Amino acid sequence: MARLAGGDREALTPLVERHYRRLYRIALGYLREREDALDVVQEAFVKVFQTASRWDGSADAGPWLSRVTVNLSIDRWRRNRRRGQTFSPLVEGDHLQALADHEPAPDRRVLGRETGDRLALALSALPERQRAVVVLRHYQELSLEEIASTLDMSLGTVKSSLHRALHRMRATLGGGHA
Amino acid sequence: MILEHLRLRRGTSLLAAGLLAGRELEQTLAHLGRCARCRAERDELRAVVATMERDPLRTAEPDVKAAVLAARVARDVEHALAPAGRPRWWLVALPAAAAAAVAAALLVPALVKPFRPEPRAARVTIPPAEASALLEDDALARIERNLAREQAARYLNEAGDVLVSVAATGIDCDRTDDRLDVGAAPERSRELLEKRRLVVDAGAEAVASARGVLDDVELALRQVAELPSCVKRRDVELVQKDVEQRQLLMRIRLLTRELEG
Repeated sequence: MARLAGGDREALTPLVERHYRRLYRIALGYLREREDALDVVQEAFVKVFQTASRWDGSADAGPWLSRVTVNLSIDRWRRNRRRGQTFSPLVEGDHLQALADHEPAPDRRVLGRETGDRLALALSALPERQRAVVVLRHYQELSLEEIASTLDMSLGTVKSSLHRALHRMRATLGGGHA
Repeated sequence: MILEHLRLRRGTSLLAAGLLAGRELEQTLAHLGRCARCRAERDELRAVVATMERDPLRTAEPDVKAAVLAARVARDVEHALAPAGRPRWWLVALPAAAAAAVAAALLVPALVKPFRPEPRAARVTIPPAEASALLEDDALARIERNLAREQAARYLNEAGDVLVSVAATGIDCDRTDDRLDVGAAPERSRELLEKRRLVVDAGAEAVASARGVLDDVELALRQVAELPSCVKRRDVELVQKDVEQRQLLMRIRLLTRELEG
């Protein structure tokens, strides 16, 4: 990271190798679309390179990279929503019809189409930051402190967000979860 | 019992999420022993967590190898470097060039006036249609650039107002819980964040020099956007501290002046 901050482009490859899987899973957990997730990760590394000079060297680069990825995922999510490419959490009937129009990804087939789709629906019904908290906790297994540091939120806000998110997901998923 | 229930409700969620430890864990478990409804709630929340744990996306592998992705990133960086490199050069060279041009405009006519021949008719005449096209292209580019800069200045001004309103708030909305009222600041932040993409994408080159400040403003607005309107004093102080550390208000003021010319 220090090399990158000094403008050394060769430092990109080891940084990508070290972090790209983790960042990909964050973006995928958030967006649930492989291509979008890969685009976001690519964009995140470009952004990190462009702003590396502002990195003060005191902190671990991991949370910073995760934060950039989450923010870009939120941006992508909004853009897709404006273009009508993401689930609308408000009208369930329309949403399920929209899902039915798409070929399920292999992951979804393994999990069971219905459960995967219901999970996507439950996640999409969450406010953006709550969704990020859930993804970092349950898709990355970060601790509360790590989530707070990654999202630049207070510990109390993280706890409340997770509490609200799980309750909201419970309501969306209903009784039969799997 | 009701008070205890309300107090420990969040604990039940955190327990289901596998995040409770120490005294909080003991208290919550003791409460669950007495509250059948809470036990049912914990089981339902655990089922939600279990559903996520079975999601194959958690362990999905990217479709491309690290080396391929690194090459793509390097290509994008190359592409982005040209406009990104410009602002620093501009910041130094543009004011100097402007100053030189002003000095020349003032001095040169006075120096050459005694030697200047009588004006004559223009020797080269640009055909009217051609001249008009050249003028239009040039003028349009200038207008677009100015518009992009004006838009960015307006965005920064509004963002500055929002951050000031949060930083300066002292209005209690819930004294017992030490909460402060930040009014419509979170909502305005969300609106501004929506607007940001338009400002940055539409006039990328014209506002290239503003990228650093725009990025920091975005981070600050994201923090504010996350707040409720009645917010704990500690959370307001975090925003204040962040704005202060980044010297954001001063940088917004300076940049806005620069963008407005």
